[in-house]
Amino acid sequence: MIADVAPADVALAGFTLPPELEAHEPPEARGLPRDGVRMLVSRTSSGEISHHGFRDLPGLLLPGDLLVVNTTATLPAQVRAGQLAVHFSSPRPDGSWLVELRRVTGKTSVPNGLGFPGQRLSLPGGAVLTLEGKATARLWRARLSVAVVPYLLRHGRPIRYSYVPRDWALPAYQTVFSRVPGSAEMPSAARPFTPSVVTDLVAGGVLIAPLTLHAGVSSLEADEDPYPEPYDVPPATAALVNHVRAHGGRVIAAGTTVVRALETAALGQPGGRVTAAAGWTSHVVTPETGVRAVDGLLTGLHEPRSSHLRMLAAFAGPELLSRCYQAAIDAGYLWHEFGDVHLLLP
Amino acid sequence: MCRGAPPPSVRDMQNPTAMITGASRGLGRALAAGLAREGYDLIIDARNAAALDAAADRIRGAGGNVTAIAGDVTDPAHRAALRQAAAAAGRLDLLVNNAGTLGASPLPALADYPPEELRAAFEVNVIAPVALTQLMLPLLRESGGAVLNITSDAAVEAYAGWGGYGAAKAALEQASNVLAAEEPVLRVWWADPGDLRTDMHQLAFPGEDISDRPEPESVVPAFVRLVTQRLPSGRYRAAHLMPVTP
Repeated sequence: MIADVAPADVALAGFTLPPELEAHEPPEARGLPRDGVRMLVSRTSSGEISHHGFRDLPGLLLPGDLLVVNTTATLPAQVRAGQLAVHFSSPRPDGSWLVELRRVTGKTSVPNGLGFPGQRLSLPGGAVLTLEGKATARLWRARLSVAVVPYLLRHGRPIRYSYVPRDWALPAYQTVFSRVPGSAEMPSAARPFTPSVVTDLVAGGVLIAPLTLHAGVSSLEADEDPYPEPYDVPPATAALVNHVRAHGGRVIAAGTTVVRALETAALGQPGGRVTAAAGWTSHVVTPETGVRAVDGLLTGLHEPRSSHLRMLAAFAGPELLSRCYQAAIDAGYLWHEFGDVHLLLP
Repeated sequence: MCRGAPPPSVRDMQNPTAMITGASRGLGRALAAGLAREGYDLIIDARNAAALDAAADRIRGAGGNVTAIAGDVTDPAHRAALRQAAAAAGRLDLLVNNAGTLGASPLPALADYPPEELRAAFEVNVIAPVALTQLMLPLLRESGGAVLNITSDAAVEAYAGWGGYGAAKAALEQASNVLAAEEPVLRVWWADPGDLRTDMHQLAFPGEDISDRPEPESVVPAFVRLVTQRLPSGRYRAAHLMPVTP
């Protein structure tokens, strides 16, 4: 609801994404290497906006800066059974999962609005999905008769929305950092990284540290907050974040998932210090919560009124963010998981 | 809305909790003392109540917080009692499946292994830890916790006489491996402590002098490193994890 958006955000919240700026396929299918996408760079301190290629990243960071990356790997989180498509979003501590029921229509799928508590749905391979109850307007708590992750690896396909007209194989949805299968959708900010860019960063003195946050299905409905997601900030990474900031370096998050995990690990800590932490996070970063442990963010270009934009506004402020998005639209940047990226620096 | 874990700011006011089976002697007792020193509240068990209480008292004497429950891990009612203790603690961050049995002693060749002894070895070394893990999974998931299964090089090497114990530990290792694949939120480690001067090791070499083997306390720093650094899921050898002392 637009009324819930802070007044200064209205210009940003209300922008319209021209359809021709949707990325319909991976950059490799458009004749580009992974690291050949464009990168809009904005600087909060000066309000400056500049246009780059992603391969400029090593030159934009400084020796002693820390890039924090997410090692989650994308699951083939969609299972189809006839006209039914089930999107597996997030595991819950009791072993059930949040799932979305969708109806296959032509080349894509839409929410089907069906299901009732106790309903048992037969899925391929003899698995049975039992709906336990509604978790949100769109998502069910459900229990699969077999272990979900190995099942999806065998029977699933990547989640895809209508702006991507055909299926792409799972490797198109992994980043160079993907190690632990668990995300319903690709943490796409890190998609452009290649071994060559990582090598340039390391050789340039930029530090890199991992964490894990398994991302659920994206909040495609406007003004909907993300669900609790499992995350894990390992002790070595927490220590490195604190070390770098204590020495004047900047902590740059490769993706909004990294911001969510690090900000969770800094909750209740003095001065934005990060402690090793794991579990489920319900923390949502907004201009009101602010960012305490992260200085910069590499991210994709987000849809109007998405919760991600509120996180970005916490970094850049609504005025600069509005100018960034106007600049990205004017310059024909591409949106969504296969599109271009945006680097927000202090 | 989904019932997520409480926010870390609340959780952090409470010590992390570890459950260690077979903690009255040997490696289990040493690990319990080591984890207590790292700030873990403990839930420990062993069959011998007197020995368990003695181990618990020693840890309390050093300032640790211990709940001791005597019982046999193969007993479902005992496992349920452990589950209740963890629920009462409000959180569980680490489950150490340490309790184990060597099986028949002296170690028979597989040709002569009494099937009932073999079954008993699998009950203690495989079925019980898997069943206990099942009970603890919801709490472990909520904390993003870890399972540490104590194994042996006998699980991967072909030592004559170690067929019963080794086969059971191999089964535990593969159960750990699969658990890691099924539970992306958890850490699952299966770790070989190496030969140690313990009662179990003495049983494997009855009448022999095993005083050249290191004390179980000697490998605790390796396990503390594994646990506190939250190393990735997988198989580890304590000898490879010993911290460097500057």
